Amino acid sequence: MIRFLPLLLFASSVGAQVPPDIAMERSGYVAWLKKAPNSPLLAVAQQRVGDGVRLGPADADIPLPGVEAHRVYPAGSGLVLEGSGGQRPIGRGRPYRIGKYALYLSGPPPGTVLTVFSDKATREPPGYYEYNSSMVFTGPLLRPAAPRQIRVLAADGIEVDATEVGSFVVPQGGGTPLRVLRIPIAGGDESDLEIFFRDESNGDGTYPAGRFVSLVPLPNGQFRLDFNRARNPFCAYSSVYPCPAPWRGNSVPAALRVGERYAGGGLEAVPAQEPAE
Amino acid sequence: MMLALLVQGAVALSSPSSPAGPWRAALDLAGGPLPFGLQIERAERGWRGKLCNGTECQPIDVRLAGDSLVFEIADYAATIMATRRGDSLVGAYSNVGNRGPRVIPFRAARGRWPAFPPPQPLLGRWDATFFTDWATSPRVFELKRGPSGLEGTIISNTGDYGHFAGWAVADSFAMAHFDGSYVYLLTGKLEGDTLRGIFHAGLRTQTPWKAVRSSGAPHLRSPAELTTADTAAPFRFAFRDLEGRMVTNEDPRFKGKVVLVDIFGSWCPTCHHATPELVKLYRRYRTRGLEVVGLAYEVTGDSAIDGRQMRRYRDKFGITFPLLLAGINDTEAAAATLPQLRGFTSFPTTLFLGRDGRIRRVQAGFYGPATGEQYRRQLREYERAIETLLKEGER
Repeated sequence: MIRFLPLLLFASSVGAQVPPDIAMERSGYVAWLKKAPNSPLLAVAQQRVGDGVRLGPADADIPLPGVEAHRVYPAGSGLVLEGSGGQRPIGRGRPYRIGKYALYLSGPPPGTVLTVFSDKATREPPGYYEYNSSMVFTGPLLRPAAPRQIRVLAADGIEVDATEVGSFVVPQGGGTPLRVLRIPIAGGDESDLEIFFRDESNGDGTYPAGRFVSLVPLPNGQFRLDFNRARNPFCAYSSVYPCPAPWRGNSVPAALRVGERYAGGGLEAVPAQEPAE
Repeated sequence: MMLALLVQGAVALSSPSSPAGPWRAALDLAGGPLPFGLQIERAERGWRGKLCNGTECQPIDVRLAGDSLVFEIADYAATIMATRRGDSLVGAYSNVGNRGPRVIPFRAARGRWPAFPPPQPLLGRWDATFFTDWATSPRVFELKRGPSGLEGTIISNTGDYGHFAGWAVADSFAMAHFDGSYVYLLTGKLEGDTLRGIFHAGLRTQTPWKAVRSSGAPHLRSPAELTTADTAAPFRFAFRDLEGRMVTNEDPRFKGKVVLVDIFGSWCPTCHHATPELVKLYRRYRTRGLEVVGLAYEVTGDSAIDGRQMRRYRDKFGITFPLLLAGINDTEAAAATLPQLRGFTSFPTTLFLGRDGRIRRVQAGFYGPATGEQYRRQLREYERAIETLLKEGER
């Protein structure tokens, strides 16, 4: 029995003016997709480093036209990029240029992943549905009895150790609880409360495998879930990225045509993996 | 109160067409506004600025582009872009992230944040516990009265979070640290003899905490216990200096000397507090047999770019001891170049080597000036340790 239904913030209003914070978030994200060296629109390959990844020639693990042979491999507890010019240690979270490509390492060992980006986008940034102020909910985070650590793929397809922090109930379907995970942001005290959900619009205007939305803490101890902020996992932009398996139970029995649209491409099918426990 | 101060009309301190003067600025975090100061002044060519937490400021670049102002915080590849609306600025702070940009709404009005004298019951040293989901971790708060009102810092096992400034009224307070990369806001309230509140990091992360007045008993682990070392053999290193020469622990300049090894990065704010103290110690003890060497772990892995950053760092602090480019600032990559250390996690880390070259003390992190007495006590410990090691060789 669900005891706390979130409060509907506003009366239904499709096409209402986009609030400034959402407008800023969208324009910032679109600018990042267009300009950042690690934009998923520029991704050409992604592979676990494992014992090592060869780059460059046609028979390499990741062929890169016009690039001589390079290798990325673990050395001690770090990683090394080796080419004809010698070796140099490389770290996570920043681009390393070889020719027109940028290499980017993400994720903790032993699951460190190498992503290669080109300098030209092959796709356009996404579009958004009209803002719908009836898709904004506030309510409590219902805490589970005990903490659970869970390994999932974040929106960028990188494995992270997340904490299941509870559930948030949306009114669709008479009250649907959605699992909430705390997903760490590398390198600091920051983290995001994330919900990976599916709804009846998936494959019919929105990405078939589901979308992410962040839960925003409010000063009064409540939380806000704004489905207008729903965004695609990176696998929606490029099949270079693996797609997160759906989170068990996070299925909203309604078509939520708000937030980020899907324009085709990326991973077309729902992943065959088991739902995340 | 913060909101009211930002939106109320402010007294213009210079002509409306000029951005020059002080601005009281805020980042709008999900849990409330994070206050900080900006100062803009004319430079020989264009403009220059300062980003301030209370009276502690750092230089930043300022560009005027039409009706917009762009603040560039180059050390962290961060930008504040704002549109001028009369005597207000409205825009966003952003820097690059892995899953999308890190964007936080920004606004500012002309003038300075008012300085409220903080109430006495809030001041002092507090032993805090942070609660993240089901885990807890210790911190210490130093709250004091400063020129801009409430000032202080947060201290963890490996050092402090930098200088915080803010306000306190009656039993509530908020104080912030924003340096272009770290976005921290501490809000709290005194309830009886316990402080309770929220630590805000970035746009949305909120960590509840509670704190009781420090009894004087240790609440944090000692920085000298966090990282351990192989003390059986001399500490070995071999890296190139800024002129490209290979420098090793076998060099004559280190033979028979007490050596401080400063493991640092020019990108690391805490290192900017520690290095000037090492410069002073080097000046004071060099003639008695102290040497210092800096092992830099920089950002790009490109020796030309990293070398440029290190030269800036050297010139900024007037460093006369050798700085060696040791690697990049990925903790695991750095640890791989320092196989004689176990549990290396912290920039800066300072190694104290005896005259025989063996590690005698490992100091993980550094308590900056914002920690007050802890900072002064740490410097006295550094001096005592150096004196002890120097005397061992003199006997």
